[in-house]
Amino acid sequence: MSDARAPDTGRRIALVDVNCFYASAERAFDPSLEGRPLVVLSNNDGCAVTRSPEAKALGIPVGEPWFKIAPRVKEWGLVARSSNYELYGDISSRVMELLGRYSAWLEVYSIDEAFLGVKGTPDELLQLGHTIKAAVRRNVGVPVCVGIANTKTLAKLANKWAKNNPGLNGVCHWDAMPAQAREALMRRLSVIELWGVAGRLTKRLNGLGIHSILDLANADPVRIRERFSVVLMRTVLELQGTPCIPMEEERIGRDQLIFSRSFSTPITTAADLRQVMSVYAQQASARLAKHGLQAKVLNAFAGTSHYNPLDTSYPTVTVTLPLPTADPVLLTKASHALLPRLQEGIKYVRAGIMVTDLRPSGRQAPLPVFANPHEERGIGTLLEDISRKYGRGSVGLGHAGIRGGPDWSMERSMLSPRYTTNWDELPLVRAA
Amino acid sequence: MGIVIGPRVIDAGTSLLSVLISPVRVAAGYPSPAQDYFDGRIDLNEHLIKDITSTYVVRVSGDSMEGAGISDGDELIVNRALDPKDGSVVIAVLDGELTIKRLRITASGVVLQADNPRYPDIRVPDLSDLVIWGVATRCLHHV
Repeated sequence: MSDARAPDTGRRIALVDVNCFYASAERAFDPSLEGRPLVVLSNNDGCAVTRSPEAKALGIPVGEPWFKIAPRVKEWGLVARSSNYELYGDISSRVMELLGRYSAWLEVYSIDEAFLGVKGTPDELLQLGHTIKAAVRRNVGVPVCVGIANTKTLAKLANKWAKNNPGLNGVCHWDAMPAQAREALMRRLSVIELWGVAGRLTKRLNGLGIHSILDLANADPVRIRERFSVVLMRTVLELQGTPCIPMEEERIGRDQLIFSRSFSTPITTAADLRQVMSVYAQQASARLAKHGLQAKVLNAFAGTSHYNPLDTSYPTVTVTLPLPTADPVLLTKASHALLPRLQEGIKYVRAGIMVTDLRPSGRQAPLPVFANPHEERGIGTLLEDISRKYGRGSVGLGHAGIRGGPDWSMERSMLSPRYTTNWDELPLVRAA
Repeated sequence: MGIVIGPRVIDAGTSLLSVLISPVRVAAGYPSPAQDYFDGRIDLNEHLIKDITSTYVVRVSGDSMEGAGISDGDELIVNRALDPKDGSVVIAVLDGELTIKRLRITASGVVLQADNPRYPDIRVPDLSDLVIWGVATRCLHHV
């Protein structure tokens, strides 16, 4: 499947992601949960968002409402936990910081997954994958799987295969698989299993006789672009081994929002990064307000360039916000917690923030003044507008976010302690 | 400055974490005499945490480690990345619980000891039968 025209430089992409992230984070501090069916519930304890393998084996589907699971808790010996975003945010930033030590090219893709640029022979890269897996397990305490391939789409697929095939021990290198095995896998998996292919797309693809991933890989990219979109064409090309999915700058996940960007000129001082962080915080604020959401946890991160492997630095920080908020001032403040972690003089080419623990703000979006954050040129003007309207450092904006937050009413009856972010809730070790 | 995006910064007031700053120069007078000697305050993180990805703080519950100067309610700094050695104070998983013990690796086997004669030793056939969660590096003893 690999593109025979392109010279093989040994550059590959590794997708590292934490297995059943929320459940694994809970288990890292509560070993009694090991081996038991465990579900982590969404905000307000609504439904199961993460299931441990044991819970999956019981046939509990993702998104299963808690009221349907609750009556069978005893029978199953099942444990449920409310979402502990402070904990997940901190574990996530530890994982990302650690991953940054293994590659000078890191793209935080979501709270529990990152793409790494790697280089080497298939054997070396398999070895690296196992090293990374062991290091995350040992240092942070959570299990990961690693998928390695020539493109992001194939790295995702390799990762999926690593997860579902115990024989691989959590690491799969696409190039190290026999061609027949790759084809058999792609023939067996439906296109819906593919990264970036949504459900409604699947129906239309099926209409054209494209059912399996292999069908799509064998499709004509030009025809796919004509019938669908350039996005799906890229997927086809990536399946054929041509890397063409660029870094994304803004992503909205199920329960997180990420803003990140590479800079054309590196940033070397905290003062400059402070500005960048401020922009992302404003963007996140605008985005949250638009969707009527507030966030409780913010992660901020920065990274150095892969062209400069000598001075690598991947500082990260997790901040628990005093209240759920979409307020730009609070988010900005929180993002600045990254600044003391910078190494002055090192060239950072990438930075971003991620907000998690999102919940409805329970009131009308208070900041209509924010426009589309895609228009980066508009941001300066927006901020000027705001300062003009509310005054520099105005607390008026802050109040909009602080007042009437629905935090008190949030049901989290099965919340574990905030083991790593709250001094009063440290893990207890038995001295007996 | 050379950043692709160059917006106005909203004044966010003081940062959530206080950043180390040196004494401010007096605008119209002499510089503070302390200026040249100020290297920043002692940062406990820098001295107590070797690796931020693998270090956790835990709290002790019980008196079985009194002999090691580790009391009920003390906080411990635990590094998960360290290899446990003979004599290490470790956090081991026993019956699904994080438990603090002193690890003894001898020719006759592996023993988890309390530093308090009231608690018996626990013999383990082999180190691989044991889940060591982390190795304690410091005790923040309440005096």
